[in-house]
Amino acid sequence: MSIMNLTILGMFIFSVGSIGVIARSNIFVIYMSLELMLNGLSLILVAFSTYNHSFDGQILTLFVIALAAAEAALFLTVIVLLFRTKRSLDSNIFTSLKKG
Amino acid sequence: MENILFYILSFIGAMSSVGVIAFRNPMFSSLSLLVCVIDIGFLFALMNASFLFMAQLIIYAGAILTLLLFVLMFLKIRDEDLPKEDNKFKIMFFGAIVMLPLNLIVIKALDAYINPAKEIIFDGGIKEFGIRLYYDYLLPFELVSILLLVALIGAIVLAKKMPKRESK
Repeated sequence: MSIMNLTILGMFIFSVGSIGVIARSNIFVIYMSLELMLNGLSLILVAFSTYNHSFDGQILTLFVIALAAAEAALFLTVIVLLFRTKRSLDSNIFTSLKKG
Repeated sequence: MENILFYILSFIGAMSSVGVIAFRNPMFSSLSLLVCVIDIGFLFALMNASFLFMAQLIIYAGAILTLLLFVLMFLKIRDEDLPKEDNKFKIMFFGAIVMLPLNLIVIKALDAYINPAKEIIFDGGIKEFGIRLYYDYLLPFELVSILLLVALIGAIVLAKKMPKRESK
């Protein structure tokens, strides 16, 4: 278990998350891909804080978890509202802000 | 022993993260995400970050993903509500091609920076973590609490008004 292996795993999870944001159009899966990106980055942060013998990365990861909690509350509320009005999970039909 | 555990955990993490974006049904995706999050928590435990291990299990797996599963079950999503994604694997393939150079750059930069022989062992206890958190990071900690309060109020305000159902 070296820092290199941990970083490769974290970058892999981050890349899979960003590919999910690009490729899927189900809004639930887009939200889960955002969570995956956060998780991969926190893995890299903790790995580097362990490598450098300092607590800064771990504290930053704690803040990332708190941010994810706030994000989950708002994102899920918006998803529930959108699903109630449009009765669909496709992100391509949510075009209410488009002009005309 | 540590290395074997690390390889098993990283294999499970990689497979479950691919499962999140590959499944069609969001229920399977969220269960796969649950496996991935718990797996990353075990990796934290392997790196001696014991407080983050508990926070990951309690807050991430216990609160956030349970909320997600609750909303998924509560919405009663039928199969025709799911979007048709016929060419998602093609887009994923092109996305992988786009993401590959970024990963190579990061790994190459890391290769110049780190000392690969240095084993990562760090005996950071919970007591020291708390002292660091409350001495050096007191202001960000309080700001995060305000952020959580604002998110709570925002969620309540958004959920309060019931919109009329539009016809599709």
